[in-house]
Amino acid sequence: MLLALAVGLGVALLSEIGGAVGRGLVRAYVEVFRNTPLLIQIFIVYFGLPQIGLKLSPFLSGLSALTLYAAAYNAEIFRAGLEAVPRGQHEAARSTGLSGAQVAGYIIVPQAVRICLPALGNNLVSLVKNSSLVSTIGMVELMFVANDISFNNFRSFEIYGAAAVLYVVLVLGLSRGLAVLERRLRRAGAAA
Amino acid sequence: MSWAVVAENFPYLLRGTLYTAALSVAVILLGTTGGLVVGLLRFVPAAPLRGAVTATVEVVRATPLLLLLFFIFFGLPAIGIRIPTWPAAVLALSLWMTANTAEVVRGAIQSIPRGQTEAARSTGLTGIQTMRDVLVPQALRRMLPPFVGLCTILVKDTSLAAIIGVFELTRAAQESIERTLHPFELYLCAAAIYFCLCFPLSVLTARAERHLQRP
Repeated sequence: MLLALAVGLGVALLSEIGGAVGRGLVRAYVEVFRNTPLLIQIFIVYFGLPQIGLKLSPFLSGLSALTLYAAAYNAEIFRAGLEAVPRGQHEAARSTGLSGAQVAGYIIVPQAVRICLPALGNNLVSLVKNSSLVSTIGMVELMFVANDISFNNFRSFEIYGAAAVLYVVLVLGLSRGLAVLERRLRRAGAAA
Repeated sequence: MSWAVVAENFPYLLRGTLYTAALSVAVILLGTTGGLVVGLLRFVPAAPLRGAVTATVEVVRATPLLLLLFFIFFGLPAIGIRIPTWPAAVLALSLWMTANTAEVVRGAIQSIPRGQTEAARSTGLTGIQTMRDVLVPQALRRMLPPFVGLCTILVKDTSLAAIIGVFELTRAAQESIERTLHPFELYLCAAAIYFCLCFPLSVLTARAERHLQRP
């Protein structure tokens, strides 16, 4: 998740400063990854890449596919957030003598993050749910463990029910936490 | 790398695409109907019913689709309910679509200013008339962009049905790969086909959103 955040932010910044070529590349990346199924992406990384000589473990495959997928969504959110920061902020910061990188780091990005937070939170929640897909390539996580247990003792109803409960607790806990964080940040924003 | 393999298996993948499209359409029809009903149920005055509906929607939305699918296909037989692959996939995907559409419906209706409800009620309309003649027509416009977005996600998520053995695009790709041992090209090709299905929907979503921002 942290990786997806970092990559997403990097990609969004690239589209801001990269000129027409950078923006075109970013658009292509975002559209391709958002319009193809995550399952297929995981399969391409895990089953497809070895064929051209790049062999990754289930863990690395799952991690990189999930990261690329979530980063595409995050990049889109960051782009909207960056665009939502008024241009005057940028101009004022530059005129006080800050460099371009400083403006991005101290002025624009912190404000954009606050604007993006609700959408990023939603994304984080779907990432937690999407992580269940990597069980299909044998990466050990909640879903994989549930499959494993139920194939051993055939009590699939109870096991999958329990896994569902765990996911619900995880996801609802996460959304509650994010809601609190959102309220905090809004209060900080109002005070400033 | 061998693109001849792709050319050879392309008709088979297209047959899978047909099933993907059929599955998507079936689920969108069922899920939209269900979602409209469930979404409106969340405005019913009876609090216990409303609470039950809200809880169910939250649970379905908080559970990964894959788990929902496995629960229905592998879990229910353990208590004696055996469902074949196709109906199981349609059921799981429709449940998911219903819960998410219900949220879209609820959000759109709640975004209509309260004054509309108050004005409608004070002209003597009943609660149901207010909903049907005043709130829903206005909310429909606002539902459209997130709803088309949901449909895009749904088309992508039909790929999960392949895991329980439903024949559709992903399954067709897997079967071609088992025959030819060329996973890279064939999965890329499947991804390209999914892209062709989903990209127009994404463009439509973006356009609908822009249209909505204009008054």
